[in-house]
Amino acid sequence: MNLSRTARTALWAMLAAGLGVVYVPLLIVMLNSFNTDRTFAWPPSGLTVRWWEAAWNSTGVRDALWTSVQAGAGATVIALVLGTMVAFAIQRYDFFGKNAVSLLVLLPIALPGIVTGIALNNAFRAVLSPFGVSLGLFTVIVGHATFCVVTVYNNVLARLRRTGISLEEASADLGADTFTTFRLVTFPMMRSALLAGGLLAFALSFDEIIVTTFTAGAGVRTLPLWIFENLFRPNQAPVVNVVAAALIVASVVPIYLAQRLSGGDAGVR
Amino acid sequence: MNTAAPARPAPLRTPRRRLAAFLHRHAGVRLSLLLSAPALWLGLAYLGALAALFVTAFWSTDTFTGDLVRVPTWGNFQDLLTADVYRTIALRSVGVAVAVTLIDLLIAFPMAFAMAKLASPRAQRWLVIAVLTPLWASYLVKAYAWRVMLGSEGLLGWGYGLTATVLTLSYLWLPYMILPIYAGLERLPDSLLEAAGDLGARGWRTFRTVVWPLALPAVIAGSVFTFSLSLGDYITVKIVGGTSQLIGNVVYDNIGAANNLPFAAAVATVPVMIMLVYLAAVRRTGALENL
Repeated sequence: MNLSRTARTALWAMLAAGLGVVYVPLLIVMLNSFNTDRTFAWPPSGLTVRWWEAAWNSTGVRDALWTSVQAGAGATVIALVLGTMVAFAIQRYDFFGKNAVSLLVLLPIALPGIVTGIALNNAFRAVLSPFGVSLGLFTVIVGHATFCVVTVYNNVLARLRRTGISLEEASADLGADTFTTFRLVTFPMMRSALLAGGLLAFALSFDEIIVTTFTAGAGVRTLPLWIFENLFRPNQAPVVNVVAAALIVASVVPIYLAQRLSGGDAGVR
Repeated sequence: MNTAAPARPAPLRTPRRRLAAFLHRHAGVRLSLLLSAPALWLGLAYLGALAALFVTAFWSTDTFTGDLVRVPTWGNFQDLLTADVYRTIALRSVGVAVAVTLIDLLIAFPMAFAMAKLASPRAQRWLVIAVLTPLWASYLVKAYAWRVMLGSEGLLGWGYGLTATVLTLSYLWLPYMILPIYAGLERLPDSLLEAAGDLGARGWRTFRTVVWPLALPAVIAGSVFTFSLSLGDYITVKIVGGTSQLIGNVVYDNIGAANNLPFAAAVATVPVMIMLVYLAAVRRTGALENL
């Protein structure tokens, strides 16, 4: 493309500056996790690993982490099943209300989280309280699964569009029945899309706070809820900062996995 | 290769086989089965919950006992429309959402363009990772990072308030704007840009008449994210917003402290209506295919 030299330089500079703005705050959090000063006076007066030890030994942090993992795993499994089913229905069939269904899948993330949160809170209390069941981890999983479906749906749909049906037809022509074709042909083609979608679903659930606030029962504390609870407590600030730094480091893992799994087409929701 | 392939066995009439054959012949049954669970979950449970919330917006609470009064009334919406404080907050929220969307667009477009059209394929791969990685970092962590930076002892030390909210939200949702635009620009064939150049268009004219119209659906797709995410946010406001509340805070406070679910539900319909109007408006552009 014939851009002037100035335009090119300007665009590159904007890209570099943009990435700088994106990363500087994260680097500051990382650095502050070693800051000896409790109030994060800038620049740091000295460095210490004391806060990392404190965070590692904090039972609050550990419990919250375990709760988050359970919620994320539960929501991911449900999202995988539901998302795959909708994606197949949308991509392989023509039916009345198809557009409405694809919009419906999108709705939970298109609507503000607080709306989904209070709607589910209201519904759970109305449906569950007559049975003497209160909000708990279960309701968090249901809430998370609702907005995680779309990530799996998008990944599977994109894969189905690309692969077409000729391989499945060939499998049927060779005598494989519906189930065998699914097991030997369709599923292997879907596998990396499912992993990418599942990974995204898990990350989305792991990070969610708004819907969680309204669907978590008393005593159910996911990691984001724990962070938010302790964010405004000055004496907890260093530990919160360490958890934040650890989460930044951990966020590299899914990126690495997604790149390995799908050759770089994962992640764009 | 297995050269001595055995002859294909005759189809067995097992129940499994018969079920498979039945499914194979009846596309309608297959479709119904595929749609059953998602329809129950999203159609019945989720839409049902949203509908119930909407109905609740027309109820009220007993001032003394705090119990729900299940008698239809327009009271909540009248309060919402007549009280200046709510109108101010609603307008402020929309203003914040628009500001965040525009700021993100201004920052994201050149970044996405440089990524899609100037970088080599190898660099492109790394740049996408560089943009994606912060997306995986926790929302709270990023808002928290700005709290630390904007705090009185922090690197910037600008303090908290509405400006801090706009800055933090713009930061939070920036990748959601970059990625769709990048994907859109990457699909845009280079030959179109070259053709524009060959026909005498300079950079700016090429941008205005070729790049922008073709990238518009992607831009709108990004704006759906930035707009919707900003509109419903109350956490960032609590972390860096100081005293200037947004719609989300009004909803949250009415659920928690005030224990007035009907009014919270009425307030919550405001962002939903705005988003539905927005989605309906952008549907024609094909932007929703880009999400």
